[in-house]
Amino acid sequence: MITFDKVTKVYQKDWIALDSISFEVQKGEFIFITGPTGAGKSTIIKLIYKEEEPTKGTIKVLDNNLHFLKQNKIPEFRRKIGVIFQDFKLLPDRTVEENVAFALEVTDIPPRDLKKKVFDILTYVRLSHKKFNYPYQLSGGEQQEVAIARALVRDPYILLADEPTGNLDLKSSQEVLEILLDINYKGTTILMASHNQLLVRKAKKRIIHLQDGKMISDK
Amino acid sequence: MSLRIGIREGFRTIIRSRSLFFLSLLVAAISFYLLSIFGLVTVNLYKMANVLDEKIEIIVFLEERADIQMLKNNIKKINGVQEIIYVSAETALKQLQEEVAETREIVRIFEDNPLPASLRIRLEPNFRNTKGLEEISQKILLLKGVKDTIYGGELVEQLKRITHIMLFFDIGLLLIITLSVIFVIFQTIKLTIFAHATEIEIMKLVGATDTFITIPFVFQGLIQGIFGGIIAYILLIITARIASSFFDIPYFPRLLFFLGSVLFGMIFGIIGSSIALRRFIK
Repeated sequence: MITFDKVTKVYQKDWIALDSISFEVQKGEFIFITGPTGAGKSTIIKLIYKEEEPTKGTIKVLDNNLHFLKQNKIPEFRRKIGVIFQDFKLLPDRTVEENVAFALEVTDIPPRDLKKKVFDILTYVRLSHKKFNYPYQLSGGEQQEVAIARALVRDPYILLADEPTGNLDLKSSQEVLEILLDINYKGTTILMASHNQLLVRKAKKRIIHLQDGKMISDK
Repeated sequence: MSLRIGIREGFRTIIRSRSLFFLSLLVAAISFYLLSIFGLVTVNLYKMANVLDEKIEIIVFLEERADIQMLKNNIKKINGVQEIIYVSAETALKQLQEEVAETREIVRIFEDNPLPASLRIRLEPNFRNTKGLEEISQKILLLKGVKDTIYGGELVEQLKRITHIMLFFDIGLLLIITLSVIFVIFQTIKLTIFAHATEIEIMKLVGATDTFITIPFVFQGLIQGIFGGIIAYILLIITARIASSFFDIPYFPRLLFFLGSVLFGMIFGIIGSSIALRRFIK
């Protein structure tokens, strides 16, 4: 599903974010990418959804060699991938329902189907009763669940999570992890960057550990 | 579908950030207003220069028994002559009486018409200058049946020169103002787009195409441009009303200015927001 082959990413001023990283992700896997701040976790996530380009190496995602993926094909490609972040990236002036619907509106889905899909996914993350609330009226955990709902509403093949629990307390973090594990159980491949060791150990999944852009372990 | 959503999103964006929208609308309106004022001045100066140019002519006074047809034919052969108009002694008197009411009394003193018949010679554009006037006038004076020629060469040319200098400066100013307007409006649009950076980022993240992202902002730019143009036109009309109580505005094609303002606004809105957004998306 995802293949990194000797991928190097160098940012300006010779800062090596990733140094010849290789790994493969199979369909249905749940992988944690761990490591301290600046280890290159977010860079891997950004490279997968083609927000960044690698300096060297080959990345294949969902049978696409990203190097050859044309600019006008990126939107279609991204619709197959869901992404969630530490800071949720919700639109503050839209309700929960509108935030989730937003991800579907970019596709040509009929309004009736859209309503149903949004309702179903909000029910799944246990937030359907708060669909008319605005993000600022929700707790951090709930906001992240809205972000998950937005990422999931289009049934992505892959879900990328960049420190999704970074801003949450332990209880909310565990709730978010439970949802992610359930999503994975239903078949979605998940890559989650995290430095929350407690959470990572609890999940008992494959862990890729990075340090200073190098892969230290993959087990 | 995406157009419908795009327009809906455009309206939403306007309503959500209305203060920013009104600010940029105001900037656009004032910019277009300045531009139309200078446009109006330029058009009038240009018209004035043309009118002056057309007024350059030689008046040839004829002897009483001159063969008018032959003279006309001979003058026509002179290089630089564009048109010849015959003014009989009677017509000349009539015109004089119409133009200057006081002359009616004076003319009554004479038993006969004291004015001679004349030919008004209009010149081709290249000859509408002191040199051309002199040359052609000399040639006409040699013809039989010509009593005298007059032409207001020096004065007209001086006026022409002044008008042209004014027009030159005015067009220069108009260009500077146009460029400033483009810059200011472009910056304002950029500001609006930057205010929606998160929204654009999320749109891209969830797989929105560039067109999908662009439509709401272009729509907003379009609305801004149209209303900016309309407000500018209203301000221009008010200014023209006030100004016309002090001096005449000889040429003011209202419809042209209205359509011009609105069209200019639309084009600015669409192109400005597209360019600003394209840069932002990339």
